[in-house]
Amino acid sequence: MKAEAQNRDRRGFSILELLVAMAIFLAICGAMFELLRMSQEKYSGETQLSAAYQDSRLAMDQIVRDFNVGGYPPADMFSVLPASMSQYAITPVAWSPGYTAVPPNPCSVGTGGVGTPCMTPGDYDLIIETRIPADATDTTVKWVWYHLDQPSFTLYREVVVKTTNDPLSEVQAGNSQTPFLKNVMNSPGSQMSQITANYPAMFPRGQPQPIFQYTCDTPGGPRPCSQAGSNNSPKSIRDVDVTLIVMTPQQDLQTQGLKLVELFGRGHRSNPAN
Amino acid sequence: MKRERKIEKKRKQAGTALLIAIFALLLISVVGIALLVSTGVDTALAGNYRTSTGAYYGALAGLEEARGRLLWKNPDYINKTSSYSNLLNPLGVPTWGLTQVLYITNPGPGETVDPTSTVPANYPDAEYGQEFSWGLGGAAVNKITSVSAVPSASLPGPSYKWVRINAVTEQSLSVDVNGDGQLDGAALLFYDPAHVNASYNSAPGLVLTSAPSPTPPPSSTAVQALEITALAVLPNGSQKMLQYVVAPLIVSAQVSSNSVTPQPAPSGASFPAALTLAGNGVSYTGPQTSSFVINGQDQCAANNLYYSIGYTNNSDGPGIVQAVTQPAPGTTNDYQGYPASGPGTPPPPTTGTTTIANVSPTPATGLIPPSWLTPASLDSLAQDITRSADVVIDGVTNRPAHGSNLPTAMSANTPMTVVVNGDLDLTRWHGTGYGLLLVTGTLTYDPDATWEGIVLVIGQGTFVSTRGGFGGFDGAVFLAKTRDTSDNLLPSLGATSFSQTGSHGNFGRGINYNSCWISGNPASPVTLGVQGPLVYGPLSYKVLSFREITQQ
Repeated sequence: MKAEAQNRDRRGFSILELLVAMAIFLAICGAMFELLRMSQEKYSGETQLSAAYQDSRLAMDQIVRDFNVGGYPPADMFSVLPASMSQYAITPVAWSPGYTAVPPNPCSVGTGGVGTPCMTPGDYDLIIETRIPADATDTTVKWVWYHLDQPSFTLYREVVVKTTNDPLSEVQAGNSQTPFLKNVMNSPGSQMSQITANYPAMFPRGQPQPIFQYTCDTPGGPRPCSQAGSNNSPKSIRDVDVTLIVMTPQQDLQTQGLKLVELFGRGHRSNPAN
Repeated sequence: MKRERKIEKKRKQAGTALLIAIFALLLISVVGIALLVSTGVDTALAGNYRTSTGAYYGALAGLEEARGRLLWKNPDYINKTSSYSNLLNPLGVPTWGLTQVLYITNPGPGETVDPTSTVPANYPDAEYGQEFSWGLGGAAVNKITSVSAVPSASLPGPSYKWVRINAVTEQSLSVDVNGDGQLDGAALLFYDPAHVNASYNSAPGLVLTSAPSPTPPPSSTAVQALEITALAVLPNGSQKMLQYVVAPLIVSAQVSSNSVTPQPAPSGASFPAALTLAGNGVSYTGPQTSSFVINGQDQCAANNLYYSIGYTNNSDGPGIVQAVTQPAPGTTNDYQGYPASGPGTPPPPTTGTTTIANVSPTPATGLIPPSWLTPASLDSLAQDITRSADVVIDGVTNRPAHGSNLPTAMSANTPMTVVVNGDLDLTRWHGTGYGLLLVTGTLTYDPDATWEGIVLVIGQGTFVSTRGGFGGFDGAVFLAKTRDTSDNLLPSLGATSFSQTGSHGNFGRGINYNSCWISGNPASPVTLGVQGPLVYGPLSYKVLSFREITQQ
């Protein structure tokens, strides 16, 4: 009797009990790790999304600030224009071609103008002419060139001291190729269909979304430059609407879809164009 | 005994479940916190972006309040009670001294704002000392409070703390205005819209007075430039400092740097003729009746004589003279004014074709600055006027604006700036307008209508009148064709056109030069039934430049 009881005490677990217990344990662990993996993926995705937001917001802030102070110091701050081109700004928004023509003979921005179409400013290209406020001691006027390299989806910001009156050649020559904002998908090319499947409202009519859209001064008030007729010229640009569509570096690990953020900003220039 | 030990052993293991549970909770908490942190980063980013934009617009609001309150017709005009007559004269024109500073403060609830203090909590102005060597200690400081502040817990009002208005020097702007290689810290800067460069081309710009100040304006067309600086600080400490350089826009003061007679220019001299036809190949059809006078004798100061008709291209002169004498001989006495034959002491009013002259013959004697003779600069002036207009009426070619669309609130004491974008038809409008009228299309004039002030037809530059009437223009009329029929800017001024063919029943006054109505000179009574004096100050303050100041 006593031995029987002792045996029962020492019996341990049956293989079945162990199997069931291990199965339950594994299932719980599996579920736990799956949860952890999902949250890890989610975390990684959200981190990338916030990074994309942060980068685009900083970029937007910089573009808007540069545009707002564009054209400083204007030529009408001088009674005798400095001999050096780098001491004054002719216009807040520089253009090409035709910048060197005297009197200035601006091109037309996009469609709807009467002049030669501009190479810059354009949908993905903008040259601002100004002193950079952050450099209080540096009084030279710079070209600040924003341009999107469409194949690599990279937005560049180049700052080049203005020395001649040929903005486009000068910024192209001084191009340091330092990326300003990566994965800018305003003109997504072959990825358009994939993006519009996830974000149907982001690209109206499936058309690329310009980064820069311009509003021109006209005698009847500000109008989109494309509707400004003979006032469609870079000299008349008063406001710029900036749209940044930025994709995260990796696809969403959970859905394998593309993740994008879209930001809007508006710059308003106050300095005159001479 | 063994059983007891076993029970004891089991008792020892009894806390394991708790430990496991705590461990599991810990694990879940870590995951949860990680998720919370990632969301938190996103929220903080959104916050940062907002404050940067918020401080920018806060400072801009301050700049705009100051710019608005410099204008004489603003209900909150700084010099409304004449307390600051040393800063702004009775006509609303700035006369700021070199060391004079006016602050508009805008403290939040429970705050003290004192830009002159050194206490950081009072928002001291460290920038003034950077711009002017004598610092705020050597400045004559005045302070007024903001009118836009609505400080309450729920509605904090604009976030700017103070706005400073002061005179400008090369040093304060760190801009070498006159190109002498030095930054002058004592000479006041003025803005001359009629300034010309060495090639006698229009080059509006800042100009230096000769030190020591105060000094009179460097030319009759120059007006003082002012600096407006605003500091905005948000509750989280984010700040922004922005700066405007502004100058009053006074159209009548821009036109002429030389007057016809007497020399030097009398106060209020501006337009060189009662009717100026700026252009090339102008078309002129003169009045068919002797009661439509084009008179260059100043109706406000009879000794001051101007031309009756001015043109700007020598080859247009004979055509106008012929039109005056040929079609209706005997009507030449409609043209009164300065005899074009010679300068000197004021001559008696002369009649006839000798009062018709080129008003821009050479740089030395040019009566109109080059800024009034190019399509681009005139167009820019028209845009400045439009931006500061009291009323802008859009007319279209097929359906022109009519006199009845003009504002009814105009009077001698409340002159207005009225801009008609397109054509204006005054047929059968028997009203009177006061101030500045700018028409960019065709002005169809019915002599029953009257305008007291300046009439600019800049754009299509076409004036048509086919009727008779009892009204007239007192002031000056200026026509310039700057755009072609498709509204494109011309490379040089085009064929401006004036036509008055009302053949009968015209008992009107025509166009009479009147410096009081042009400039608002309150010195003399106005003749011909027109009332005065008229205070007619700047139309607005034009923004010459804008910059952001990085604080050290």
